[in-house]
Formats: sequence, C-alpha cells, structure tokens
Amino acid sequence: MKLREIIETLQATIVVNSHDQEMAVELACGSDLMSDVLSRLKPDALLLTGLITPQSVYTAEMADVRVVCYVRGKKPEAETVRLAEERGLVLLSTTLPMYESCGRLYRKGLKGVSET
Amino acid sequence: MKDSNVNGTLQIARTQEMIYELRVQQAMTKQVITVEPENTMADVSRVLGENRHSGMPVMKGEEMVGIVSVEDLVRSFREGNSSQPVKQWMSKNVTTLYADEPLVHAVQKFERHGYGRFPVIDRKTKRLVGILTKVDIIRCLLQHLEIDFQDLEIRRYIPREWFSELDCDRATLSLRYHIDGANFEKAGEVSSKLKRNLQTLGLAPDVVRRIAIASFEAELNLVIFTEGGELAARVEPGRVTVTVVDNGPGIPDVELAMQPGYSTAPDWVRELGFGAGMGLPNIKNCTNELKLESKVGEGTKLQFTVFT
Amino acid sequence: MTRTLKEIVEALKLAVSTRGDLLSSRTVTGGYAGDMLSDVLAHARKGQVWVTLQTHTNIVAVASSKELCGIIVVNGRTPEAATLQKAEQEHIPILVSPLSSYDVVARLCELGVTNREGV
Repeated sequence: MKLREIIETLQATIVVNSHDQEMAVELACGSDLMSDVLSRLKPDALLLTGLITPQSVYTAEMADVRVVCYVRGKKPEAETVRLAEERGLVLLSTTLPMYESCGRLYRKGLKGVSET
Repeated sequence: MKDSNVNGTLQIARTQEMIYELRVQQAMTKQVITVEPENTMADVSRVLGENRHSGMPVMKGEEMVGIVSVEDLVRSFREGNSSQPVKQWMSKNVTTLYADEPLVHAVQKFERHGYGRFPVIDRKTKRLVGILTKVDIIRCLLQHLEIDFQDLEIRRYIPREWFSELDCDRATLSLRYHIDGANFEKAGEVSSKLKRNLQTLGLAPDVVRRIAIASFEAELNLVIFTEGGELAARVEPGRVTVTVVDNGPGIPDVELAMQPGYSTAPDWVRELGFGAGMGLPNIKNCTNELKLESKVGEGTKLQFTVFT
Repeated sequence: MTRTLKEIVEALKLAVSTRGDLLSSRTVTGGYAGDMLSDVLAHARKGQVWVTLQTHTNIVAVASSKELCGIIVVNGRTPEAATLQKAEQEHIPILVSPLSSYDVVARLCELGVTNREGV
C-alpha cells in the first residue's frame, strides 16, 4: 500500500514528511510496547502506536521502519519530531483509535506481521 | 579508475530508473506565470523578459486556450506589431502532460515535439497545475541523485577491505559509549549513534539491525534498572561483540530474567512502552552468542556477539 | 453485529486460559486495542473485548473496573499464573491468540466487531 493511501485511509495529518507519498509500505504492526515492535517488526513496515516519546522514533530507527503513525489524536513531543526529522522518518497522526486504524487498513488490503 | 567506471555506470543506470519512478508533478514548477488572450504581444515581451522565460500558457479564466513563446513573439514583431493581442499569435493546439505521468513520458515528448515546455494538467479536473521544462527535469534528477549518492557514500567503506589493508595480524575497532541511568528522555541515543557508526563501517543492513535492536534493549535495561554504565562495541573481522556493564543492583535470578514475559519493571516503565519482559529474550533472538553474568549488589555484565 | 465471546473464540481459534463457561453469555459490544493501561482505563467502553499483549495482573483490574467482556492476549504470550488466578476471581475471560494485535483486530473487524467513537 502506498503512503498516500495510508494517509487517506486513516485521515491522518502529516507531522514529519521525509518521503515521497508514493512510497510503498508492505506491512503494519500496532503496538504500544516497543520490545514487541523490536521483536516482530520487519523493515519497511508501518508502526501504529500510542507511544509518543522519543523512544518511538528510536525503535523505528533500530528496526529500519520509516513510517510511524500515532493513534487516537496523539501528537508527538517536540523532541520526538526533531529526532524523526533528523533521521528522515515519516510521522503521521490520526484521530482514530488503534482498533479502528488497524481495521480500516486491513480492509484496504494492508497485511499484518503475522501473515508473512 | 576502475572504481569510477563502476560508479559511472551505476549512476547512469540509476538515472534511467529514476525517470520511470519520478512523476511529472515532482519535477514541475508549480508557480505558473500566464497571460490572457487579450493581452498584447508587448505585454508578452515584457513578462517573458522579466521572468527570463521562453514561453507561457494563455489563460481565459480557469481555461487554458493556448501557449505563447519567444518564437511567436519574434514572428509577431516581424509580420505584425506589438500592440496586437496574444490570441492572434499564440499556438492553439497545446500539448500537455498529466501531473501523475512518469517523467519518462515527458522526456519522450520533449524529443518528439521539440517544444521548450509543456503545461501540466491534473488528470481529473483538467486544470493547469504547473509547467515543465527540460531544466526542471535536470534539476529534479540532480536532487534525487544527490539523495541516492549520500546513501551510496555511507555504504562505500567496507571494513573487510579496510581491515585487510591495515598491516597487522588482527585489527579491532572499539567503540565506547556511556549510558546515563534513569534518564529516560535520552534512552536510545547511544544505540542510535552505534547504529549509524556501524552503517558507516559498511556492515550488512541485517547485521546492523540486529546489533542495533539488541543494543537498544540493553541500553533500556540500564536506563530502567541501574545507575548507568558503559556500552562497548568491538568490531573485528567476522564478528561484532557488544559488552554492556553496569554497577548494580544486579539480577537475583539470571535464568528467570531470561524467560519471556518475566519482568520486575515498575508500572511507570510499562506505561512508557517498555518492561514487558521481552528485552533479554529479544537480545537473545537477535544475536549469535549471549553471555549474562550478574552479582546482586555488584552489577551485571551482558555480552553478545553477532557474526558478520 | 452483536457476537458472543464464544463465537469469537471459535472464529479466531483462540486458546481459552480461564474457565470456559462464561463465554456464551458474554455479549461483545465492540473492541478496543491498546497496551498502555492508562489509555485503556481512559478510553475503553463497557462490554468491549480488549486486545493487548500485556500479561501482568493489572490487566484484570483494568478489565474489571471498565466492565470489559474479556481480554485477548496476542503474540501467543502466556498470561502469568497470578493474572489467571485473579481473572477467575473477577470473572474476566482471558483468551490467547498467536497472531499480532493488528491481525487479531483485522479478524474481529471481519466478524463485525467494531470500535466507532461516539456510537
């Protein structure tokens, strides 16, 4: 799925944009626990999370993930935004809760990490 | 010189790839200067001169009715006069590009028609959204090549070669970092630095990723549970070994600590997205060798190795 | 569409970690996904099934105080013994799936279990 379609599906706002919106995202993972993300997330997946601290960006960086979307209207802290800009990540924010975000993306055809 | 040839070929192949990947809208100029059909050719001469353009679309309200260029201007001066309206001299059959077309279509159209510019329209609304010249294409390719080139630069140093050129029996590179205890704000900074350094050294992405994830977990353990300590990475041919040492409080039951889901983390840590008892098992999964020694009251030494 | 927890257990092939006799009487009004207890405490609603990878005893307290209909623990994680004991006391069914949160939610949505804010 293209980044543009993810933004449309989640009606997300772009907080940090370092990539072309035609960029392809293959998988999604929704989690608020970073160790879980680190153990399961595959490179180039989308991370949906409610965690807005700098560790969300560090986690994405370590796992080679380029797109993070904060759910339920959470806006990342200033330091988080700065780190993401420095590392060339995409940060999005959606007002939808985690549950609804996962459901909508799945209906549009984005697979989860368990299916590969 | 052999190297530069290889890079030269690589760059050209990449440019060819890019003109298929990039879209017209990524290269076009969005601020379009236009004239109206009733403007005079003298107006055209002035606007083109001021903006150093060689042509521009003619707009009647929202509708594009033609395009006028320097060639039309010269013709009007030679055959008519400068007070005549644009609509008398403009070209009415305008060849356009869609904003979402790949750049390669634009390159083909430039070759086929020999025009200096193409107005760009939106596929759905048919409205004018930009203008594309050859200069725009070159500028766009250069910008994207530069981004690619930076990636290439990072990958260029290959430590295996680097090490083999050093005149000694065995070369080892040591990277040391201090980790602050209880400073959650900065938790991850050391692993982030380590990851970038390993990338600079040209280690394979998968190897770098595994070391980075294991180091990040280890760093978090120090931040959450200890007063701080040191992380040292030793890079040598075939392997990277990371040693993380702290001064306490120590782990009472190492075997239990290694079990997935076992955690002594306080609730505030869990609310920050960590402490779910997955740290040490995660480190184990990412690495080829793992050693954990701990004495209560003295401290913990964690050492892991990833084969490269 | 309203489902019982039993229907969900069957459709998603969930492992049942607590006593199974409550499942057919539990009506699922919707779903909530989250791993931060404060988030779930603030935003989950009565009757929803909670999808999380947390396993410690506090999840039972949260589910109980929010009157959630049950907990689905994801990623095949094993709930701690103390958690299961407390879950039996509080009558909170705990179910386990080997799938990730994303995939469990995806399947729940396919069954018509949704989470629409304000509905």
